[in-house]
Amino acid sequence: MAKIIKERVETPERPVEERTKSFIEVNLGYTFEIAQKEAERCLQCPANYAPCIKGCPVHIDIPAFISKIKEGDIKEALRIIWKDNTLPAITGRVCPQEDQCEKVCVVGKVGTAVNIGKLERFVADYAREKGIDKELLEEELKKIESKNKKVAIVGSGPAGLTAAGELAKMGYKVTVFEALHEVGGVLIYGIPEFRLPKDILKSELDKLDKLGVEIKKDHIVGKTVTLEELSGEYDAVFIGTGAGTPRFLNIPGILLGSIYSANEFLTRVNLMKAYKFPEYDTPVNVGKKTIVIGAGNTAMDAARSALRLGSEVTVAYRRGFEDMTARIEEIHHAKEEGVRFEFFLNPVEFIGNENHKVKAVKFEKMKALDERDSRGKRKIVGTGEYVTLEADTVIIAIGLEPNKIISESSGFKVNPDGTLVVDEHLRTTMKGVLAGGDAIRGEATVILAMGDGKKAAAAIDEFLSSGEPWPDEIKQVSF
Amino acid sequence: MYTITDKKVLSPIDYFVEVEASHVARAWKPGQFVVLMAHEKGERIPMSVYRADDGKIGMFIRKLGKTSLQIFNEFNVGDSLWSVAGPLGTPIEVKKYGTVVFASDAVCGHAENYATLRQMKEAGNHTISIQSFKDEEDVYPEQFLAKSVADEHYITTSDGSVGIKGNYLDVIRDLIEQDKVDIIFAGGVLGTLAKLAELTRPYGIPTMTTVRQIMVDGTGMCGSCRILYDGQIKFACRDGPMFDAHKVDWEDVLKRETRFLEQEKLAKEMYLKKINESHGKEVV
Repeated sequence: MAKIIKERVETPERPVEERTKSFIEVNLGYTFEIAQKEAERCLQCPANYAPCIKGCPVHIDIPAFISKIKEGDIKEALRIIWKDNTLPAITGRVCPQEDQCEKVCVVGKVGTAVNIGKLERFVADYAREKGIDKELLEEELKKIESKNKKVAIVGSGPAGLTAAGELAKMGYKVTVFEALHEVGGVLIYGIPEFRLPKDILKSELDKLDKLGVEIKKDHIVGKTVTLEELSGEYDAVFIGTGAGTPRFLNIPGILLGSIYSANEFLTRVNLMKAYKFPEYDTPVNVGKKTIVIGAGNTAMDAARSALRLGSEVTVAYRRGFEDMTARIEEIHHAKEEGVRFEFFLNPVEFIGNENHKVKAVKFEKMKALDERDSRGKRKIVGTGEYVTLEADTVIIAIGLEPNKIISESSGFKVNPDGTLVVDEHLRTTMKGVLAGGDAIRGEATVILAMGDGKKAAAAIDEFLSSGEPWPDEIKQVSF
Repeated sequence: MYTITDKKVLSPIDYFVEVEASHVARAWKPGQFVVLMAHEKGERIPMSVYRADDGKIGMFIRKLGKTSLQIFNEFNVGDSLWSVAGPLGTPIEVKKYGTVVFASDAVCGHAENYATLRQMKEAGNHTISIQSFKDEEDVYPEQFLAKSVADEHYITTSDGSVGIKGNYLDVIRDLIEQDKVDIIFAGGVLGTLAKLAELTRPYGIPTMTTVRQIMVDGTGMCGSCRILYDGQIKFACRDGPMFDAHKVDWEDVLKRETRFLEQEKLAKEMYLKKINESHGKEVV
């Protein structure tokens, strides 16, 4: 057996001083040569054992595609990935690999895990640059047998785009309805350019176009057209509307003018390109000192965007470092770039100035108990001690809940947290309507949303080809 | 393609634009609004709707900032807007209330005035429209007033040059004294709406007002338009924009209008400088 190479081949990154002043992508990815070097580290665990495949939410045959990288056959590597994941350039960049495939990698038990995420990204990027993905798509296009049935997709985020692609490949006539003026959902309004360049998304959308997917922008389902209308006009409907509504802290000062939800801040910066104001018309106001409240990927995206707009940035979190939910790479990049972190601080008041702008945030100091909550996080309690930090901008990134537009305008059964009730086949309580992604999970990941899109596509195909009746009762499946 | 099919001057500061947007026109109801973008690099701007007929929507726009000036100066009949999304927001309940008043003192309010009373009249209500302007020059051409849908129509001007001297609050005070109002709707300048809330509160007259806030997406995704309503955070775009005026925290609403004042001023100045240079004359 080959000797285990303990250290991973790192991907080159743009120097810190260069990236803090621009929104260009931070991680440069592998070249062909170093990708092959990293691929050599994979032990090629057999598919029926490989922990990485089990660790992947959509069960990509990881050892198989890595073996093709070793052989230099990138087209085959891409074909293997595409079987389970049609957007590898995106997941390679945004998946929390350290909690999934890489967490259970056998090499990781003696050294650092194989850099699966970056290898996935390499396959996708290399294929795109060399036009290999187009070749592969042409091959798939030839195999498509057109079916005389129509499917509507609501929302063009990762769940919707995946479902659209899968259904189009099965031969269905697919129409995607998007509320905004751009396609991509969280991939376009949420994740910044420095983490996911918009050209990559555009290239994925070109593929959907080739597959004949029609996209209707500026259509808010529930308002512009109702779900009942879609249900009548289309043979099946998939809802992938995400968890689009930001949560706010109901504490004094929340209406102050310079407090943003992360969604507002990131939408201004990413979708509306406020970082290019006044070339672009949408403004964003970032002062000298920004406090970001939260500890997930959205908080890191907001913090690093504010930093790039010239602000000093502090991330304040009510728990400790080990409970942060952001990808380790994002935390690492944020630190490198100069974002400061304060732990065990829970905001209790935003203090404003005479112009209705924030000037400071008052926090209660928290402490962790040994006891853990249902998510495995240590419980925290207030200490009764307070600290006030100066800030002229605050970004709140404490999470999202599903937008109620869809559920309120139709007769769906909804869970107490606003997510739609679905069974194990992602069927909702409305006949012919399925749902996936954050609309059913609350807040999850891009890859889980894509997994749902794929699963729903298969379920829609089954429903439309078998003629099986819709169940009278839908029993909520647990995630 | 959202092609402009009509454009007319309403006053020195306001204009009318009609756009092809059949997806919106078919579904729109009074109380709802649209979000439009003039061009690819533009801002998303919420806009009240004056009429929605035959696949087209008509809007009244005030030349306030860069986008509104740009549409006025550079977009003509036959040109297209980049994006028109909607209808957004929660429709108001159209039913028989008895006597329905709509009062307005600014561009969006005047659009809502006509739009609301048109349907309230059809629903069998006695409709009273009050439209307030600064002076004679600012009064809209008759065809764009709400006269045709109002059983009683009042115009007020600040200087008394046309109609009643004062603003709609003065007319409403009289109407209340005559005890003839069942419900009041109002839209326009936020400061006047806040005063209206205080005027009708002691009488317990239902008062619904458009709480216009800075928005980005208009679908409830960003919370830019959040207000405090009955002690709870509500989004003007999704839960409104029409709210019971007696439950709105007006103090915060008024302050939140100024969030991007500096940038708005900068964008407007840069735009005016650009067109003044290219035309060699003052535009506004």
